[in-house]
Amino acid sequence: MSETGGKIRRTIFDAIVFAYLVIFVLVAIMRPDSDELIEQMGFNVALFFGLAFIGGVISLAVSAKGIKTLGEVIYAPAHRRTVSDPDTPLWQTFWGVQLILALIATFVLGWVLTEVNPLLLIEAEPISQAMRLFAEVADPDWSILPKAIMKIIESIFIAFMATAFAVPIAFVLSFISARNIMGKSPIGMVIYTLLRVSFNLSRSIEPILWAIIFTIWVSFGPFAGMLALMVHSIASLAKQYSEIVEGVSDGPIEGIEATGAGRLQTVWFAIVPQIVLPYISYTIYRWDTNLRMATILGFVGGGGIGTMLMEYQGQSRWPQVGTIIVVMAFVVWVMDAFSSHVRAAIK
Amino acid sequence: MKTYPNGVRALKGVSFDVKRGEFLVIIGLSGSGKSTLLRCLNRLHEPTSGEIIFRSESDGMRKEFDIAKAEGKQIYEVRRKIGMIFQHFNIIERHSVINNVLYGSLGRTSAWRSILGLYSQEDRRKAKDYLDLVGIGDKAHYRASQLSGGQQQRVAIARALMQSPEILLADEPVASLDPATCHTVMDYLRKVNTELGLTVICNLHFLSLVRQYGTRVIALKAGELVYEGHPNDIDEAWFARIYGEGAREVHVN
Repeated sequence: MSETGGKIRRTIFDAIVFAYLVIFVLVAIMRPDSDELIEQMGFNVALFFGLAFIGGVISLAVSAKGIKTLGEVIYAPAHRRTVSDPDTPLWQTFWGVQLILALIATFVLGWVLTEVNPLLLIEAEPISQAMRLFAEVADPDWSILPKAIMKIIESIFIAFMATAFAVPIAFVLSFISARNIMGKSPIGMVIYTLLRVSFNLSRSIEPILWAIIFTIWVSFGPFAGMLALMVHSIASLAKQYSEIVEGVSDGPIEGIEATGAGRLQTVWFAIVPQIVLPYISYTIYRWDTNLRMATILGFVGGGGIGTMLMEYQGQSRWPQVGTIIVVMAFVVWVMDAFSSHVRAAIK
Repeated sequence: MKTYPNGVRALKGVSFDVKRGEFLVIIGLSGSGKSTLLRCLNRLHEPTSGEIIFRSESDGMRKEFDIAKAEGKQIYEVRRKIGMIFQHFNIIERHSVINNVLYGSLGRTSAWRSILGLYSQEDRRKAKDYLDLVGIGDKAHYRASQLSGGQQQRVAIARALMQSPEILLADEPVASLDPATCHTVMDYLRKVNTELGLTVICNLHFLSLVRQYGTRVIALKAGELVYEGHPNDIDEAWFARIYGEGAREVHVN
């Protein structure tokens, strides 16, 4: 990070913290409701930027006097980072006060926005209703067990097929999205960057959203769920795999290159042996995670046991819901134990 | 001449000759450019400027070409004629010893044949012979990681021989071995030098080894050639000039 870059970031950060705190106080005093806030959005935004400007000026002024601001603490370049004076308590430093005020404001705001109300938890009537529901769930209806088993098997295979299709694609992608392989030429860096960005984008879309897209594309059913998990798995695995490729040691690569081996031979004989075990480990873990996700994809029409859970839950048939929860928990627990056992064994 | 992208000039105006069958030793402090020099010779690193003239005498043909000017496939060809062993052995630890030796033939085997493991009978026999030559024929089917450091370095030597090279580069071949094993490995290097007639160019730390094994020595200091001569001619004055005042010689026996 350049010196000026650090200074700009620091000032912007302090400016936002200042505007945030002042607006927090204003809202606490004037108590506007959210309709009023939305109606006057233009004014509010202007107010925010005005306050931020003042905050930025204050930050610069304070820094000029040599006082450390919170922005400075967070964005100072590594070489200018100093250990704070241990004799001065946090609340007597400028940045400490900034931090404490911001945390308090955020907690209070969060309390209000999430409508926290502990009293609701101890009202008598809802408690007895919840207890009744618990009692019904805790007394599963075993007559639907065979059907639940058939459906969980479907979920297991949705997860398996998604992983199986994703592995070879992610395997190939992992090499062309590894910096140590692609970083040697400008074209390589472009491909590397494009792939990394697209992995991150598709990973930030949860499988359940992919499932909604695919149910429209290929209609409801396990195929849509499988495709949703596959897309997510390709991005996740390719990213994890390529990080493994970036971590391989150079020694064997030099060793193989020195024999006159070609590029493909170097990848196959010097890199692949180093990555096989971590690849297997990540793959099994991915199957494990996919299974967990596959159990709830049914809620949006992605097939598997989630479909059943949604139906019974919609009809408030709690004993049947209980059976499904038991089956899900059992299978996920077994898969989890199996996956961690295998991963420990190949370390 | 070699300048790294960060502007560090690792080698400056280094010029020397190596004659066929020599055991040339390169000495110098860590960071003096020894490793860079070796890696420029087989183009693991790109020299920034200069010439590396290689007179090849394979198949009864006399050829002379500039390694520094090799491009594309020619670089693989150059590397094939020049074997190399490393301080940390750089063999594939998870694979068997015999396979590691066979990797020496990758340069003359097509990618798909090597990936499917279809090495020629000739190559398989050779690999076995070279393992015998370095005294670990009985370890052929062990996993390379099961071998000791000295044995792993001998696997690396066998792999380099497998290339049928004309030159063998050795980058600190004994620096991560204990003193006893160190001599075994050096003895095998001398063996391939004298018996197979391979030219050896070897980076070394310990002067006692240099005097024992080298037929000629050059010294680098901060990327420049500061000494060239016979190992026994390095007296205390030269030692101080190469390694700096106050340096003391350490003996390995």
